[in-house]
Amino acid sequence: MLTQAHAAHFFDGRTSARHPVTVRLSEDRIALVIEGKSLTAPLTWLLSDLRALTDTADDQRLTVTRHAQSDDESPHDVARLVILDPELIAWMHRTRPNLFRAETHPGAIRRLLIYAGGAAAACLLLLFVILPALANSLARLIPIEREIAFGKTVVRQMERQLNWLDAREGFHCTDPAGLTALDTLLQRLTGGRDMQYDISLQVFDSGMVNAFAAPGGQVVILRGLLDQAETPEEVAGVLAHELGHVESRDATRLTLRAAGSAGLLTMLIGDVTGGTAVAVLGERLLSASYTREAETAADNFALEMLANARVDVAGFGDFFDALAELEPFSLPEYLATHPATEGRAAGAHAFAAAQDETAPILTKTAWQALKAICD
Amino acid sequence: MHSEERLSASTPEGGHIEVSYAGAQGPMFALMLKTGLLTLVTLGLYRFWQKTRVRRYIWSSVNAGGDTFEYTGTGLEKFLGFLVAIVFLAVYLGVVQMILFYLGLNIMVDTDTADEGDLIGMVAASVISGLAVLPFLLFAIYRARRYKMARTRFRGIRLGMEKGAWGYVIRAMGYGLLAIVSLGLLTPLMTFRLEQYMTARSYYGSTRMRQDGRWSDLYAAMKHVFIALGILLASGFLIYTGSESDTIPKIVLGVIAMLVGYVWIFVGAIYYAVQSFGYLMSHKVLGNEIRFAAEPRTGTVIKTYILGGLLLALLSSVVFGIAFALAMPFLAGIESLFADGEATMTETQIMTRMIGAGVVVGIGYLVGLVVMQALTMILITQPVLAHYIGTIRILNPDALDRVHQRAAEAGIDADGFADALDIGGAI
Repeated sequence: MLTQAHAAHFFDGRTSARHPVTVRLSEDRIALVIEGKSLTAPLTWLLSDLRALTDTADDQRLTVTRHAQSDDESPHDVARLVILDPELIAWMHRTRPNLFRAETHPGAIRRLLIYAGGAAAACLLLLFVILPALANSLARLIPIEREIAFGKTVVRQMERQLNWLDAREGFHCTDPAGLTALDTLLQRLTGGRDMQYDISLQVFDSGMVNAFAAPGGQVVILRGLLDQAETPEEVAGVLAHELGHVESRDATRLTLRAAGSAGLLTMLIGDVTGGTAVAVLGERLLSASYTREAETAADNFALEMLANARVDVAGFGDFFDALAELEPFSLPEYLATHPATEGRAAGAHAFAAAQDETAPILTKTAWQALKAICD
Repeated sequence: MHSEERLSASTPEGGHIEVSYAGAQGPMFALMLKTGLLTLVTLGLYRFWQKTRVRRYIWSSVNAGGDTFEYTGTGLEKFLGFLVAIVFLAVYLGVVQMILFYLGLNIMVDTDTADEGDLIGMVAASVISGLAVLPFLLFAIYRARRYKMARTRFRGIRLGMEKGAWGYVIRAMGYGLLAIVSLGLLTPLMTFRLEQYMTARSYYGSTRMRQDGRWSDLYAAMKHVFIALGILLASGFLIYTGSESDTIPKIVLGVIAMLVGYVWIFVGAIYYAVQSFGYLMSHKVLGNEIRFAAEPRTGTVIKTYILGGLLLALLSSVVFGIAFALAMPFLAGIESLFADGEATMTETQIMTRMIGAGVVVGIGYLVGLVVMQALTMILITQPVLAHYIGTIRILNPDALDRVHQRAAEAGIDADGFADALDIGGAI
């Protein structure tokens, strides 16, 4: 029960002067009356409007303000009543359940939702529309000789990484008969076609079953792929697929896009504890959706190219069948950068069934030479 | 009466009032832990409120002449500021980074056949694209300080800071460049002018602040850096002449001197940070009449860093050790699989246990990080802050009674940019 007047400090929010005041309950018991010699008139603060500062360090001190509409960041009066009297503090805690209530201006939540929605929409638009479009136009603008220079750097980096794993001399496979066979393969596929790039085709002595197309017409096949392939048509299929990437400048486009979105994603989620993992996953998701499109396009390009060169497309399908058996487990499609292998094999087989007359792409000897290119 | 004592303690004596810091370790740890865990379960969203609550605690711990500071920022406005900042930065980082990368590609050359000029161009391009975000970092530093000022009150009066972030960016880059090309010799010029720029735009109520003093005075604070450089130079000389003439003692001496110089330069850097703060604080003037004095001690700060750091290292092994220990029950019995190859569990059982262990370790790791953040706050950040604040005195404090209120500042971007760019440190 607040019976007597208690001493406190008062700051009126107009000047920094400290007013020594006394605080008592009003006659009708619904307000605090604040009186002091330096105040022009006694103040009456409704009990129901009283609010106190939270998370303060000193529990012997209670700073009280008033709920009021204002231009401030919180709907509080600028004036402050600082109470150091333990009895009064205890009374406040005991009788004022709303003392520490967190308050926002009306409409704050609506505003928050609008901002959040706007920000999310802007980021999605940027990641999925603007950046890819920009990457595409820039990839078209870049001079070919620059692209080739860039491609060479990429291949050199790739080489360094693979070579570090295998660490062995003679990483470039240069058996002359094998190179001739490789060239035959390439000529058969590209013969009579208008290609944008001079293809530079190499084989690296690495056990991985893979091939890749770097910017500027740099195509690399890894030895493991030749080992895995049972017919030259399988290799031709993969090569045609990589040529598809070369022609649509996929590597350059994807690198440009990654340059734009990588930093952005890290910024969006990177601040959170353990956010790096989330950012990596996000980047993976994003690049997967772009790349899957590019892969499907390259597959279609390959099928068309093989058909034109009258190469049996069944080889392409066989290769994916073999690959599917190799995969220990398959990633869900939204995470994988390539379309599901089984689907690709089925597509190729269906195409093969409808194919006209075909001719073998390599002689037996040439095929043996190609398989032995790294020996 | 209790309150009377506290009042009389605050009465200024001899024309100055002391500033003190009252924050304690227990409540701060509890606050950091509680808000850190909330941040974790809200996937980071609560961090804006966490920052707000921790600042409220810190601000309310600062007592000048019996009155405490107040932090009035809100978590909501920080979140809004962050949303605005990320849209700006998303556009900037996305588009500008890509264009810079493209330009980088355009001057990229075949390293086998390129001449030197081309190579230099290529390196320069990669440096420029790395620096693309620097203006925003500097921008964020100014805006974050401005926001903190605008949300600070003392005796019911707002502090504040004028706009001027881009002016700060230009100056910071210019003085930074000067400091770099002068091999660090002009660092005091940079420190002084940037602080002067910010102080000249700072207000308590409607009363403006001013930075007095001379930039060259900060060279006194650089002395240990120079001593360390001298030792390093001497050690280099000793090692060089020693190896020329094959005198082993000289080389040994040189190596020892190098180690000493290496440690000394770290100490020198801390000494500079502490002493330049003291000098700059002691030469600030508020409204032509209120002055300040600050005498932070480098020894105290270094001691806090070393002891706190050692304690943190010790505690982190305990904290993360517990996280892993909790995962052990899941893995019990699994090692027998590798021992004799006789499967005692089905594949699904193994999978379930592995996943269970992974989840426990993952959660344990994240909770461990939260605990470590809280420990860092109470073992290093808060003690250092308390020391800095505790050495400040306000001279001629009577004039503090005559300061008038300034207008509320709404619609500023909070520290959205600082948050998005992950700068601003612990508080």
